[in-house]
Amino acid sequence: MKKVLMGNEAVAYSLFINGVNVAVGYPGTPSTEVIETLKNFKDDDFYVEWSTNEKVALEIAAGASLAGARAVATMKQVGLNVAADPLLSLTIVGVEGGLIVFVADDPGPHSSQTEQDTRNFARFCNLPVFDPSSPKEAFELIKPAFEISEKYKLPVLFRMTTRVCHSNQSVEFEFKREKKKVKGFVKKPDWVILPALSYIKHVELKQKLQNMKKELSVYNKIEGRGKIGIITGGVSYFYVKEAIKGYDDLFSIFKITIPHPLDEEFILEFVKDKEMLIFIEELDPVLEEEVKLILFENGRIISTYGKRNGYVPFAGELDVDKVKDILNRIFSNKLHIKENTLTDILQIPKRQAQLCAGCPHRNSFLVVKYATKGQDVVFTGDIGCYTLGFAKPISTTDTCLCMGASITMAQGLKIADASKKIIAFIGDSTFFHSGITGLVNSYYNMHNITVCILDNLTTGMTGFQPHPGTGKKIYGEEGKKVNIENIVKGIGIEKILVIDPYSDFTENVDKVREFLNTEELGVIVFRRECANLKSRKSYFKINQNCLKCKVCINVTGCPAIDEDENGSIFIDSVLCKSCGLCKNFCPNNAIEKVMENE
Amino acid sequence: MNDIIIAGIGGQGNILLSRVICQLFTNRGFDVKSAENIGMSQRGGSVVSYIRVGDNVGPIVPDGEADILIGLEITEAARNINKINKDSLIILNDRFVKPKNSELEKQQILKYFEKNFRKLTIINACNIAFKLNMPKAENITMLTLICKKGILHFSKEEILTVLSQVLSPPMYEMNKILVEKVYEKY
Ligand code: SF4
Ligand code: SF4
Repeated sequence: MKKVLMGNEAVAYSLFINGVNVAVGYPGTPSTEVIETLKNFKDDDFYVEWSTNEKVALEIAAGASLAGARAVATMKQVGLNVAADPLLSLTIVGVEGGLIVFVADDPGPHSSQTEQDTRNFARFCNLPVFDPSSPKEAFELIKPAFEISEKYKLPVLFRMTTRVCHSNQSVEFEFKREKKKVKGFVKKPDWVILPALSYIKHVELKQKLQNMKKELSVYNKIEGRGKIGIITGGVSYFYVKEAIKGYDDLFSIFKITIPHPLDEEFILEFVKDKEMLIFIEELDPVLEEEVKLILFENGRIISTYGKRNGYVPFAGELDVDKVKDILNRIFSNKLHIKENTLTDILQIPKRQAQLCAGCPHRNSFLVVKYATKGQDVVFTGDIGCYTLGFAKPISTTDTCLCMGASITMAQGLKIADASKKIIAFIGDSTFFHSGITGLVNSYYNMHNITVCILDNLTTGMTGFQPHPGTGKKIYGEEGKKVNIENIVKGIGIEKILVIDPYSDFTENVDKVREFLNTEELGVIVFRRECANLKSRKSYFKINQNCLKCKVCINVTGCPAIDEDENGSIFIDSVLCKSCGLCKNFCPNNAIEKVMENE
Repeated sequence: MNDIIIAGIGGQGNILLSRVICQLFTNRGFDVKSAENIGMSQRGGSVVSYIRVGDNVGPIVPDGEADILIGLEITEAARNINKINKDSLIILNDRFVKPKNSELEKQQILKYFEKNFRKLTIINACNIAFKLNMPKAENITMLTLICKKGILHFSKEEILTVLSQVLSPPMYEMNKILVEKVYEKY
């Protein structure tokens, strides 16, 4: 069968075909579709779930692997930080069934807090890392990744970047699952991490890395015979190929698929007749540094161009045009690599990221904003769609650090600046991911903050995955529902308020204002399902009462309301989700509801 | 012809459209690669897809090399002109959602396109989809019209085959009716 697969889907198909038994992950762009695709596959020896966070996921995968199952844990690069604790210990404890840690990096970044490079993580924790250049290659590399993991009894990192995860390619394959028999857990002292054992295993680990180099080297490849060597990997390989088209005699390409551990002999063989080396890679200079070390240790001196001497940017992603620019700089434009393009180009301002039309978070933020008008308040924010609460005109998010940090940073702010009111916002999925421990801390240590849990009954940002608060499991089937208020009460917090952000705005403002009157730890749960999950029955329109004062636009910032060329205000009937928020601010009753099909 | 750009805003079905076009080429026996840029918000942000027919290339279309620009939204089409050249084919959906901080009006952008590009077609897919009671299907409406007008050479049958491969059965049924109606009426 020949099918167009997204990189993440290719990984999922290949995992399933190669007998993965347990697949777990926490959603995070650009990694989400691996689990989303795997959930479409069913087999009696296959289990898939969304876990509450990445540490949980990796530990489940580790448990399954110790029992001999093939397992995968998926996450994005920042999620790997959360799972770093079990990962580093696993390098010592080891695995039994093949264990792949799938991590999606996000050069750019397109939708992340950091641009961190998982290849560096591989160096840090002494693990092999696969770095495919395309969906097709990703598909092909899953099998050896499992095999290496099983042979060396080590987890294997499988790192892709946004441009591989989220690009599509036609892939030819036979959809046939190779079943792996799971032999079950066998007791062994190895499975208990102890300081004395760690030392011995650390020595073993270094040896294992040495041993696997040759074997992994077969996945690297050399193209061309030119005297100028370009060392590259990941998606940059294709950018290089395209950029040097027509100059093939001049260059040769060394594509590194396994950036760590690197095989010295292979590198030395490649550079033997080279007059110059150029390193083209995204994010950190991992290949550049590793190769340079090898050259130095072998007394090989050769001129190099890369990130370390400023020819290749350290931040952001590359593309063909950027690679052409880099080559032009290195060769002082003598190669004439880049052709002219259109000269007359319209400048169009960026579309600002904003909460969707009808997003219940907009209503919740505005309720809190109005309830605290005139007061000295700091709003701490968190990771999710609602990070967009920082955008104008809502402007109700002053900090954002990492998953769960709104609650804990709020406590730090309160300790340091007790005169201020501190209000933390966190989403439902994030609350389960890593908000709970912070809330326990604020109760235990008596930090008087207010925590607003924005519960839209899904993980909105990554595409509507279920979580413990929804009670639905990955296939949409019933699981046990975890009630957020019960958790809050269970901690011991008594001051709780539950609000429907779509209900009467003024009443909501009054309730919240009263709630904030007392200075003690309290939790407000704003609950209303994500605007994209429900189809509407009505929408709003502007009638002839409109004064063109634009209050509705300026207060809500709802993307469905706009002004046309003639200064008339209109509501985009396709976008409006009928939340009714704008109506509250119109001074002249010019916004009215229209029932669908009228 | 081998490089296509699809530009639009979140919620218009840009990604699905790109997936469908990729599978259309794949079914014809070509190797394709594609990629997309998606903004932070679920809906309303800029979305652009790159489709490349041919295997040995990266997923992103280099500047000036796209042969076809399909604009699901006019401003977003204009945002991506650095990817096309004077000879590129441009197909615009008559849908304008002005970015909040932009001064450019619809007519200005359309004039710009008319002035600079010879091969321009404007299609009212948004309106047709709305009239057929499937406002969310402007993407497939657009595709159907592009094929019907012979801009992309795929038959109705090929479109339906791909839709059945790519969509869930209930979604397929709805879109099938849409494709039939568009072929019949527009
Ligand atoms: S009711 Fe008003 S605020 Fe709500 S989605 Fe529609 S236009 Fe936007
Ligand atoms: S607030 Fe009311 S009167 Fe003012 S522009 Fe909006 S609809 Fe018109």
